[in-house]
Amino acid sequence: MSGVGDIVHLLFTANLWQATLAAAVLLLLPALGGVISERSGVVNIAMEGMMLTGAFFAVVADLAWHNPWLATLVAIVAGGLMATIHAVVSIQFRADQIVSGIAINIFAAGLTVFLVNRIYGLQDVGHVGPNELLPYVDIPALDQIPFFGQVVFDQNIVVYIALILLVATHIVLFRTRLGLRIRAVGEHPQAADTAGLNVYVIRYSAVIASGLLSGLSGAFLAIGISNTFVPNMTDGRGYIALAAMIFGKWTPFGAFIACLIFGLGQAVYDNNSIIHVSPYLLSMLPYVLTLIVLAGLVGRATPPAADGLPYVPGSE
Amino acid sequence: MPASVRRLTAGLGMPVGSVLFAFFIGALICAVTGANPIAAYAGLICGGLGIGCTQGENPALQISNTIVFFIPLVTTGVAVALPFRAGLFNIGAEGQLLAGSVACCAIGIKFADLPAPILLPMVLVGGMAAGALWAGIAGVLKATVGAHEVVTTIMLNYVAQWLVRFLIVGGPLELAPGTSKSHPIGAGAQLPTLLPADNSVIIFGLPASVFRVHTGLFIALVAAAVFAFLLWRTAFGYEIRAVGQSQKAARYAGVSVRRTIVLTMLIAGAFSGLAGAVQIAGVDHNLTDKFFNDTTGFDAIAVALLGLGSAVGIVLAALLFGALHTGGAIMQSDAGISSNLVLVLQALILFSIAANFVGAIRRGLPFGRRASPELPTELPPAAGLMTEAAVPPPEKT
Repeated sequence: MSGVGDIVHLLFTANLWQATLAAAVLLLLPALGGVISERSGVVNIAMEGMMLTGAFFAVVADLAWHNPWLATLVAIVAGGLMATIHAVVSIQFRADQIVSGIAINIFAAGLTVFLVNRIYGLQDVGHVGPNELLPYVDIPALDQIPFFGQVVFDQNIVVYIALILLVATHIVLFRTRLGLRIRAVGEHPQAADTAGLNVYVIRYSAVIASGLLSGLSGAFLAIGISNTFVPNMTDGRGYIALAAMIFGKWTPFGAFIACLIFGLGQAVYDNNSIIHVSPYLLSMLPYVLTLIVLAGLVGRATPPAADGLPYVPGSE
Repeated sequence: MPASVRRLTAGLGMPVGSVLFAFFIGALICAVTGANPIAAYAGLICGGLGIGCTQGENPALQISNTIVFFIPLVTTGVAVALPFRAGLFNIGAEGQLLAGSVACCAIGIKFADLPAPILLPMVLVGGMAAGALWAGIAGVLKATVGAHEVVTTIMLNYVAQWLVRFLIVGGPLELAPGTSKSHPIGAGAQLPTLLPADNSVIIFGLPASVFRVHTGLFIALVAAAVFAFLLWRTAFGYEIRAVGQSQKAARYAGVSVRRTIVLTMLIAGAFSGLAGAVQIAGVDHNLTDKFFNDTTGFDAIAVALLGLGSAVGIVLAALLFGALHTGGAIMQSDAGISSNLVLVLQALILFSIAANFVGAIRRGLPFGRRASPELPTELPPAAGLMTEAAVPPPEKT
């Protein structure tokens, strides 16, 4: 039954929050990438494609070498290469960054399935063995904390890495000279250039960082949460990450809170048998919430000033 | 060469060059992965244009299928191109198309018994209204609080996709539990096919009813003509272009930028919604799980860009993508190469247009030196793109 009591009961189960955190991390990694890229002034709607590419190459490498760490590395590099295309096209050639992002997503969707067909024929990709997946790690002692221990300290290794990256991204962006430079380039590239910063190098690095993070997320999806590759398996998660980035007003912790909200939606979706809300209506939630934020009902969401504008040296 | 001819060839150079670039890189990708590019492209040409078929495909049927894909691509292509002219990037054609399909379906089911002269206009106008509403949300948000239309239309796309799933998987429009499709629309809501739907009539060696090409073809061509007329022959079209060139200048000239933004999005949404309604009324006659993976509205972005935002260009580009879409299936069955190569080609065309690789090759690659500032940076993204695409670089004499 869909009683309020059932929902309350569900909200007090550690399993739900454990699943929430895992689902949130899947979105957090590309969202952090988006934050870094857009803070440097390059609009990035290509996380979906970078993530999908990472997922595909993680599975290919894991099936070939039976080593999840190597596979994850391959996925990260693959995501980074996709991002490099976006960087070259949108920074070097000053293309429209949105068109380039769409092209990346279409390219990734097409190329992965094309390559599945070339490598594995028309049958399935195959499954990665249970010992070749990214492992779940219980942190000794800490996982004994009631409730909280299971939620936070009984997770996939990628969850811990992502939480460290979250803090690191925040510190780098807001507490270091590098972060100041990234933000300067995203707010006022002309001034940054005058101050002696290399706008192109900083933007390239930021965009590639977004690809590395999205690739890691793809690996987590394909050989952490799942154990195979299916076409279009990211299923819009890169776009939800984009929504999380905006929802979080282009800050790492803001994005994380958004990811937790969207992750909770996902976890409730997976527990749908208990609460009987249409899972499809529930799936709309991240998008509707982001629209509400964009409508200015929850404060203004203002992107970096030079976000989306190609930098032309010497221009006003 | 006379100036008019030179302008025409210069205008064609970029899109044709982009397509050639994409096919060249696509062939490289095939060759590197051990697929035969010649077999791949032979399959595409046979499937899309009905030329040079070796496995017994019926050329007329292939062309008919290409036109079936062509129809919604033209209408949604227009829906992307019109906001481009106002400096708006409508990524939401897909969501607007789905909204139009839903409205067409809902009306066509609810009033299934009405005769065609009443019901057919109802479903088409209903689809347009739903699409306009969907795009209007993004337009109003842009005009009032400045929310970027790219982001809002992406969000609205997903809301529409999940709405379709909700409606036909266990929802109010579902035919029967577990079917994942809606009830069919009434006979009066269906657009007639161009050829008689009669199995006893044999045309081009096949029963006439297998040719799905339908009268929506004329609706699509009229939509393209209306787009061109609106843009170039009306005061509102002038306002759209003025806003696209410079919002500041448009405001000084007395144009209401907000009103133009909202109206442009409403009209664009109506075009997309019409595409969705025509698709239901002309081809599918019900909503199915096929619509979960529909990409027409995204293909439309490539159509609008490749067509340089002009009506004739959009029609030509829609023909190309319609043919690629149909050809992909034949390439997969004949040459054993995944039809997803078509997506790769589409992405390469987008890269090439967006980065203006053709222009870059003509001017010498920009690597290694800082290119001269030639793009005014205050232009909105899409407008800058369209301006550079439409205006060939000045020739040195």
